[in-house]
Amino acid sequence: MAERSPTAAPGGPFLSVESTTGSDGSAAREASSISLKGIRKEYPGGVVALESVDLDIRAGEFFTLLGPSGCGKTTLLRMLAGLDEPSAGTLSIGGVDVTDTPPHKRSVNTVFQSYALFPHLSVRDNIAFGLKMRGMARAEREQKVVEIAGFIKLGSLVDRRVDQLSGGQRQRIALARALICEPDVLLLDEPLSALDAGLRSQLQVELLRTQKRLGMTFVFVTHDQEEAMVMSDRIAVLNDGIIQQLGTPQEVYERPANLFVARFMGHDNLFPITARAGMTVTTPIGSLETEDHHEGKVALIRPETLELTSPGAPSVEPGKQLNTLMCRVVERFYRGSNVEYRLSHQNDEQHSELIAEISNTGERLFRVGDEVKVEIYPEDVIMLGDDEEGA
Amino acid sequence: MQNRSFRKGLAVFWWLTLMFLYAPLLVVMVFSFNSINTSARWGGFSLRWYERLMHNDVVINAISHTLLLAVISSIIAVILGAMIGYGLYRHRARKLGLLIVLIYLPIVMPDIVFGIADMAFFVQINRLTGLLSPGLATMVIAHVTFQIPFVALIVYSRFVGLDATLFDAAKDLYASPGQRMIHFILPTLKPALLSAFFLSFTLSVDDFVISFFTAGPESATLPIYIWGAIRRGISPEINAIATLMIASVALVAILSLLFNRRRA
Repeated sequence: MAERSPTAAPGGPFLSVESTTGSDGSAAREASSISLKGIRKEYPGGVVALESVDLDIRAGEFFTLLGPSGCGKTTLLRMLAGLDEPSAGTLSIGGVDVTDTPPHKRSVNTVFQSYALFPHLSVRDNIAFGLKMRGMARAEREQKVVEIAGFIKLGSLVDRRVDQLSGGQRQRIALARALICEPDVLLLDEPLSALDAGLRSQLQVELLRTQKRLGMTFVFVTHDQEEAMVMSDRIAVLNDGIIQQLGTPQEVYERPANLFVARFMGHDNLFPITARAGMTVTTPIGSLETEDHHEGKVALIRPETLELTSPGAPSVEPGKQLNTLMCRVVERFYRGSNVEYRLSHQNDEQHSELIAEISNTGERLFRVGDEVKVEIYPEDVIMLGDDEEGA
Repeated sequence: MQNRSFRKGLAVFWWLTLMFLYAPLLVVMVFSFNSINTSARWGGFSLRWYERLMHNDVVINAISHTLLLAVISSIIAVILGAMIGYGLYRHRARKLGLLIVLIYLPIVMPDIVFGIADMAFFVQINRLTGLLSPGLATMVIAHVTFQIPFVALIVYSRFVGLDATLFDAAKDLYASPGQRMIHFILPTLKPALLSAFFLSFTLSVDDFVISFFTAGPESATLPIYIWGAIRRGISPEINAIATLMIASVALVAILSLLFNRRRA
């Protein structure tokens, strides 16, 4: 993870972050780890939302639960908040077992997908709600609101009515309302999914900076793999109530544990393996050399690892044994910084399609109909197991 | 053009409908200010019937009974109905089909059925225990029973229109069950409760049939008084009472509408 320099917080020493921030950028504030053991959720009627889930989330981590709708990620988040009870298993936060602790007694706050701002309260009273429930005096509450408003740069928003706020503004108020309570863990349930793309990426950056500055444990739920990769220290990919893979964004993207994860992370070049001899696998696009020792049923080749040259051009790395195949350009999508080619490959009677993503370095682009030489490094041919063999 | 004549026809229809609804009320109101003792012709403007009302103790008593009954029954109905509405909402995931029907039923049940049933019921209790002799208490109970469904449905629909995650948010922000009631549920419901109160109030003031069967000799309400007086013919005095009732019910109905609209 790249280090982000902490920017000075205007408006006061919220959570006393500045004074305790270490030289390495990590805050000295006590952040809490989370430990889930054998967590299972079964609804009456036999629907299983979560199979036995074991998961450890480190203190101060930006952790993302990623998966399609209905995969159990929101159920898991609601259990951390205490809004859903597990059917089995234990849950501890900061080393303390909170499995049976009701939500209002957990030092955990949530930013909800719908933001859930109280319509009967002003923005100011919404932000101070948690403090009021904890019995903090009015004067102190107001001071805290001023501090958090400076910290999240709310400006004059605190004087508005809730129904006068836009989606992005509501999101920030919801964040302020949760952060002001200084929880051990902050939960975020798809807080950006209702916003348009531009605002969304801006708020992603803000959210990430806020988390690094506070050193607070954030558990983030999303179905958007790009958002998950941008934001997270680690990602758990869920499907059918099972954690399919747990790892850093790089690990999950570059070394998906199985076919589901590969597909979910947006990979398209997936070729079933019909035979294997040593380090050579047979696929519909021909025999491929690989350096992957894992057993696999499907070969994954990420689009950005393909090397495209004109037929007859010398190899991109003459000293090395590369997989080489001839393809024809079927479609070209120009994206500015990169170019995506849809390629077709004919092997005996088998017709396959490949996708190549080439960064646009200003060299001549291939045209639709051109014949191209595709070279693939053996280390980029990755073996994938079946769907259900989760990590 | 065909379209234009169609619109003209609609306009005529609209005014006819309004006339049917309000012309009779208008006639009553106009003749309450008539100076002579007949509805056959206009003898000039006068307030003498209103003056006479003010000196009629029976009428004053009936008015105060009506108001007292309306206020007490509405308060009780709002409390009980709100609890039912909340319960319906909280357990909406369960199959509540029959319960919903049971709550709707009193709304569509003819008043006379309820009135007679209530009367028979109270008479039985009175005979067995000596309690609940016909009077204000029996009328309050009877009125509460027909007000409750309306309150429950108003409160329920207010909850249904609410983002369900607000309940989660309140829990998540450290509100204990008691605090959730005081700081979230009641303030959120306030407009619905006020509107339910005013609706209950007008229903109570309006009611004749159920009041008639449950009233005691000392607790006649205004509608009961009017019914008794009208047997001797429609006097301008009755017109004056009717006008006062129209004015007060309209006022409360408008208040109810305003509160309902102002909810966020």
